[in-house]
Amino acid sequence: MKDIDPDVELLARIGNNEPAAVNEMVSRKLPRLLALASRILGDADEARDVAQESFLRIWRQAANWRSGEARFDTWLHRVALNLCHDRLRRRKERPLNDDDALNDVADSAPAPDEQLEAAARSEQMEAALASLPERQREAIVLQYYQELSNIDAAALMNISVEALESLLSRARRNLRSYLADTPGLARPGRGRP
Amino acid sequence: MTPERFAQLAEAYGANLQRWPHAEQAQAKALLDAGDLSARDALHQARWLDGMLDSHQLAAVDPALARQIRLSAKPPSFWSRYASWLSPAGFVGVGIAGVAAGILVASLSVPLPMLSAEVLPSVFDQGDADIVFTVNAEETEQ
Repeated sequence: MKDIDPDVELLARIGNNEPAAVNEMVSRKLPRLLALASRILGDADEARDVAQESFLRIWRQAANWRSGEARFDTWLHRVALNLCHDRLRRRKERPLNDDDALNDVADSAPAPDEQLEAAARSEQMEAALASLPERQREAIVLQYYQELSNIDAAALMNISVEALESLLSRARRNLRSYLADTPGLARPGRGRP
Repeated sequence: MTPERFAQLAEAYGANLQRWPHAEQAQAKALLDAGDLSARDALHQARWLDGMLDSHQLAAVDPALARQIRLSAKPPSFWSRYASWLSPAGFVGVGIAGVAAGILVASLSVPLPMLSAEVLPSVFDQGDADIVFTVNAEETEQ
């Protein structure tokens, strides 16, 4: 059984040049696209470029969107993922300085202790994600952060659900191992929750 | 569902059963409800990493970026719609105009020393006038 694609009506309105529909689409999808691209690429500026390019494709596609084929959100993820892949490929051809990607977060504005602690944990997590092999990172971003179903995530990665499950397990093992070696983080104890 | 399968799923999908494959959620819940200790332990392990994953914060969306993207959705104006082919057409037009101007300047500025009145016949040429008049005379007579 196929459920109704919640974005189809909005696309039709964009096709009719309704400004309110454009605003709604930006509100609905921009945070999601930025989250995807930021976590895959680990670079805020490149993530912005990917988001902008993805929206240009949305505007071009809106009037011609045919419902009943792929869900719009899945299609959009494929567009953004392909743009991310292009950038990752270019990076391999012309390696960047490792420091470039991870220095975006650094901001020395004074903050309360809790905020500092949260920011430090976020940085540690960012570093842990960046340490994963590309396919493992992609799997965890699609399944965990983007909350796609295992079937959609596997389809986007052109792999079986079993292969996705294997990638996810390895990703989580590697993340645990990376974070366990990070000083100051409480490790999970075995036993009762 | 076996406790081993439960542990595999927790290892792959995390502690939130709603993120697990739909087909296996009910069986997993049944195992938990039955009080299986290894299943609870697997969830506990997964929950710690979920918490760490959730701690990854992203910067708020920049309103300037959102505005820029909204503007990029504007329907194309008349000129921008045809800009892609107007631009090369403009180049071709300018080229043709340049060639035409060159020919005109050359034809006005080059002196014609080798050409004499014999080479360039004139409408006031006497000989031609005779012929014209003769033909006209014949036509009139008819």
